Amino acid sequence: MLESLEGSGSVDVTIIIDSLPSLVKATVMTLFLSCLSVLIALVIGFSTALIRILKVKILYEIASMYISIIRGTPLLVQIFVIYYGLPQIGISLDPISSGIMALSLNAGAYLSESFRASILAVDRGQMEAAISMGMTYGQAMRRIILPQSLRIAIPTLSNSFIVLVKDTSLVSVITVTELLQMSSLIIAKTFEPLTIYLVAAAIYWILITFFTTMLDKFEKRSSKYLAR
Amino acid sequence: MKVIQVENIKKAFGENPVLRGVDLTVNKSEVVVIMGPSGSGKSTFLRCLTYLEEPNEGLIQIGPHELHTGGKLDRKRKKEIRELRKKTGFVFQSFNLFPNMTAIENVMEGPMTIHGVKSNEAKKVAEVLLCKVGLGDRCDHYPVQLSGGQQQRVAIARALSLNPTVMLYDEPTSALDPELVREVLQVIKDLAEEGMTMVIVTHEMNFAREVADRVIFMDDGYIVEQGTPEEIFDHPKEERTKQFLTMTK
Repeated sequence: MLESLEGSGSVDVTIIIDSLPSLVKATVMTLFLSCLSVLIALVIGFSTALIRILKVKILYEIASMYISIIRGTPLLVQIFVIYYGLPQIGISLDPISSGIMALSLNAGAYLSESFRASILAVDRGQMEAAISMGMTYGQAMRRIILPQSLRIAIPTLSNSFIVLVKDTSLVSVITVTELLQMSSLIIAKTFEPLTIYLVAAAIYWILITFFTTMLDKFEKRSSKYLAR
Repeated sequence: MKVIQVENIKKAFGENPVLRGVDLTVNKSEVVVIMGPSGSGKSTFLRCLTYLEEPNEGLIQIGPHELHTGGKLDRKRKKEIRELRKKTGFVFQSFNLFPNMTAIENVMEGPMTIHGVKSNEAKKVAEVLLCKVGLGDRCDHYPVQLSGGQQQRVAIARALSLNPTVMLYDEPTSALDPELVREVLQVIKDLAEEGMTMVIVTHEMNFAREVADRVIFMDDGYIVEQGTPEEIFDHPKEERTKQFLTMTK
């Protein structure tokens, strides 16, 4: 059992139990941030990947620049720019919206690269077979290429999602009361950093283990056609 | 009756000319086999016929569909190319089956996506076609669960699913183990007997002898010589044809 650092001798289980409702509530916020951001990031990533593969004029340059900037700067800086910087040019977002915007823009850039790589990884013969039947490029993409590229993308997608869940902890710096921020608040009252941070770490671990298990299952299911 | 008419097809990859002006006319129900050393342009020629490679110059006519080369790839032209492809079944050396679909789904895909056929109707047609290539009992297998020969037969059924006017084969047996070649050739032979118009690029000389109405020998981007299998194999006129035949014997 964990003992208080003050040496009071009392077992800290009560502190865990007392703080658990608040931590669970904050976990819901973490989940909300992760899930909403990943959805937006999937849309951003997928569309920028298509723009780059189809080499759409102008948009191609914009998408490439976006990916380069996001991947070349720290997430924390991006969060600061959006939350503290944008108000200076008249765009004020509340902490949660700022957080979601930063997280989804960030993850979107990485997802874009995964999508692009996975679409390009589908054998060239697949596109040839599809268009040789008389399909349009769009039909071939939708019916033949994208379903196959999704399977290829799943491992890197789930990796990006794990990173995203953990990155939500960074938005605690702009006062979003997610899991890490809540832990710090509780510690300020209880002076039990080890106990509370370990509980927070355990919650992150449980969340991520849950998601990885689900995504692994999804990957297995989508790869069933590869089994002999 | 002419089904394919091709005039003066030229194609270069960058600076490197692959086809230097090829003409070809194929009549209905005719089976034409194209042979030649590797790099002679035979595969490129076949791929040009359905615009998998866009020729630099020339005229292609398949059935009622006519395509002049050059010209901008605008919406109208893309549609013309698609119309031509719908009537042209293409069989690849590496099968190119859709690995995430079962055999029957592979054969249903074209009619459903391109012609908007309902799934139960497409299924009936696909079953008939798979039975025809001898794979009626393999409908629900994924490509990875089939042998190379079986995969190529599914690919032939898939190419037939859009009811093509001509079938084009690009070295259909080159990726197969020797013992699997025969089952694929048999399917092609059956189609020939039904009167399907076909152009086949292959190295199988015995097969060419049995099935071909006409054999074309290509080298260095030209048609060197053409004639009946007997004329080409037994009494070749051109020096290059003779050379090729002695080398492959």
